[in-house]
Amino acid sequence: MELLFQQIFNGLTIGSVYTLVALGLTLVFGILHVPNFAHGAFYMVGAYITLMMMVGFGFNYWIAIIASVAVVAILGVVTQQLIFKKLEGADGMRMMVAAIGILLFLEAFGQFMWGTEYYRMDTPYSSVVNLFGLTVTLQRLLIIIAAIILMLALHFFLTKTMIGAAIIAMAQNREGAFLVGINANQVAWLTFAIAGGLAAAAASLASPINLVFPTMGNLVIMKAFVIIIIGGMGSIPGAIIGGYLLGLTESIGATYISSDYKDVIAFLLLVVILTAKPTGLFTKGVQ
Amino acid sequence: MKFGKTLFVLLMVLVAIMVMAGCAASSVSNSNSESSSNAKQTKDTKTDGKTSSSAENTVNIGFSGPLSGPAAYYGENTLSGLEMAVDEINEEGFEVDGKTYDINLVTLDDQYLPNETGTNARRLVQENNTPVIFVPHSGGVFATQVFNEKENFLIAAYTSEPKIMEQNNSLTLGIPPAYSAYPEPFTKYEMERFGKKIALLPTASQYGKDWTDALKPVWEENGGEVVFEGSIDFSKDTDFFSIVTKALSNDPDVLFVGGPSQPTALVIKQARELGFEGGFMVMDQAKIEEMEPVLGGLEQLEGAIGTLPIIESDASGAEEFIKKYKERFDRIPTAEGAFNYQAMHVLVNAMKESGSVDDPTKIMASIEDGIKTLPDENVVWHINGLVNGGAFDWKPAIGVVEDGKVLNKDY
Repeated sequence: MELLFQQIFNGLTIGSVYTLVALGLTLVFGILHVPNFAHGAFYMVGAYITLMMMVGFGFNYWIAIIASVAVVAILGVVTQQLIFKKLEGADGMRMMVAAIGILLFLEAFGQFMWGTEYYRMDTPYSSVVNLFGLTVTLQRLLIIIAAIILMLALHFFLTKTMIGAAIIAMAQNREGAFLVGINANQVAWLTFAIAGGLAAAAASLASPINLVFPTMGNLVIMKAFVIIIIGGMGSIPGAIIGGYLLGLTESIGATYISSDYKDVIAFLLLVVILTAKPTGLFTKGVQ
Repeated sequence: MKFGKTLFVLLMVLVAIMVMAGCAASSVSNSNSESSSNAKQTKDTKTDGKTSSSAENTVNIGFSGPLSGPAAYYGENTLSGLEMAVDEINEEGFEVDGKTYDINLVTLDDQYLPNETGTNARRLVQENNTPVIFVPHSGGVFATQVFNEKENFLIAAYTSEPKIMEQNNSLTLGIPPAYSAYPEPFTKYEMERFGKKIALLPTASQYGKDWTDALKPVWEENGGEVVFEGSIDFSKDTDFFSIVTKALSNDPDVLFVGGPSQPTALVIKQARELGFEGGFMVMDQAKIEEMEPVLGGLEQLEGAIGTLPIIESDASGAEEFIKKYKERFDRIPTAEGAFNYQAMHVLVNAMKESGSVDDPTKIMASIEDGIKTLPDENVVWHINGLVNGGAFDWKPAIGVVEDGKVLNKDY
């Protein structure tokens, strides 16, 4: 029984990180209508910026995260304004190629700038606590809590503010949004800023239990793609449910079925969900 | 227009931050200007290969390894030793058959993909006429072994996979010690110190599977029991807590781990966090000296057995090599750098002995002589000659962590 709870906790930790990354991906999908392959690279840059702020400038962990979120948000806006905006109206294939180009550029840039070393991110939260018989490190607890706070903040932003409503409107129906006078450009760059910020936050939270290295983004972005397909492309609740579902399937599947088949289980889940509901769990109606 | 201005400001801010972060990067403990310069000149080191030496002729030596992608760190490690050796050789050049030569190291990136290694090797032979090509991974070695005898080049293979020497390929030089030397001593030590129950958590690569297959019978013959069998895919998994939890729920005395050093260190760290107090058997791909900085000391590695860190070497040329390496690359030298360094010196020595710089068969035939006449200052670790028809015969190098210190375990 203890093992089960331990694995649920492990699944929640990793699911939180997946969810934050998938949320950004799904938000941007609403604007671009293609998956943003460069999102994993944003994640990687976010981790490096946080690390450099902490080690290079001696900032506190939380201040470093805020700085990193800001930098990657700006990076998102710049890519949107310089690249995706110019491609507006072009077919999806060009967008996709552009996104892959950004991914390759950022990865090479990361390796050029910071080298191929693996870096460790030290935080004051590395101690191990015993919670109801479970082994929990503070950092892992922090990941779960911070992810929930970020999700709630995002939820309130999208549902309670005008700008948030505009983002949702754009994702739902582009022409309709134009007709009611929504500034498409503003919504687009804002969405990229939020997505970039979420990626940076996820990376900064997850790095202390992992390492910082140039290809770190590839690992999570693969999972994020699976998640947004499970949850439905462009769906926010879909990304959240999908993220936790994948995290839990991985950890519980690894325990009770076989760790070798962990990925098989995750993809089996994908197949089953897509068979039952081809558009993903939470997509509503026809586009 | 208004937005153009805002965008410009944003861009400037971004550039400024990136540059600042970059500056900060150089103040981080072990960042390296060297590796980034490697990245820039992935294609060819011709320019710095031909430094100040007065030699009139040049021998091209090829290298195809991962210089970008997930294994780039490892690729750079292997390349670093070669670069260092080449620069030393080129200071004076070397004489073969009355002519002086220097070495030009031509490096190509294969991103750890065997098919790319094959393409690169062909290119190196056709464009640069390289008699020798260094390949630092087993997949790439197998791929080039298919045609190297026909196209006449020597593979200097940096992989501990013993199977590469079983291909009856007369032009393969095996550089590192094969891992088949480790299961016996590792088993004895861990069993004696911690107990008979082992959980297996190796890397999911072919190499990891082969290593595990070599270890399992040895462990069981010695009366041990395998309580958990799993593997970790370091190219896919982001977190190891789940699988380590599972492995530890079987109550093992010893954990068998391995893979790239730094993520392997995370596996060890997470096992300790989950309350594991036993020992670790570490595959030779992971290096104790590279795991130590990730874990912030040797404390969590207590009871680990693995390959001996080259910084503990007592060979004649070790001290000088370590000093120069640290100065040049600003990272700890590992076996990857050291063995390749020594191999390059042996190779040039063999060229001198054989009287040929372009006939791989002759060079290969003289490797044994090249080893025997190797000057003491180039001996970073003890080497006796060749075994298995073309692999370096190193003295086994095994290290254990006892009471917070790495000890050289002689077997």
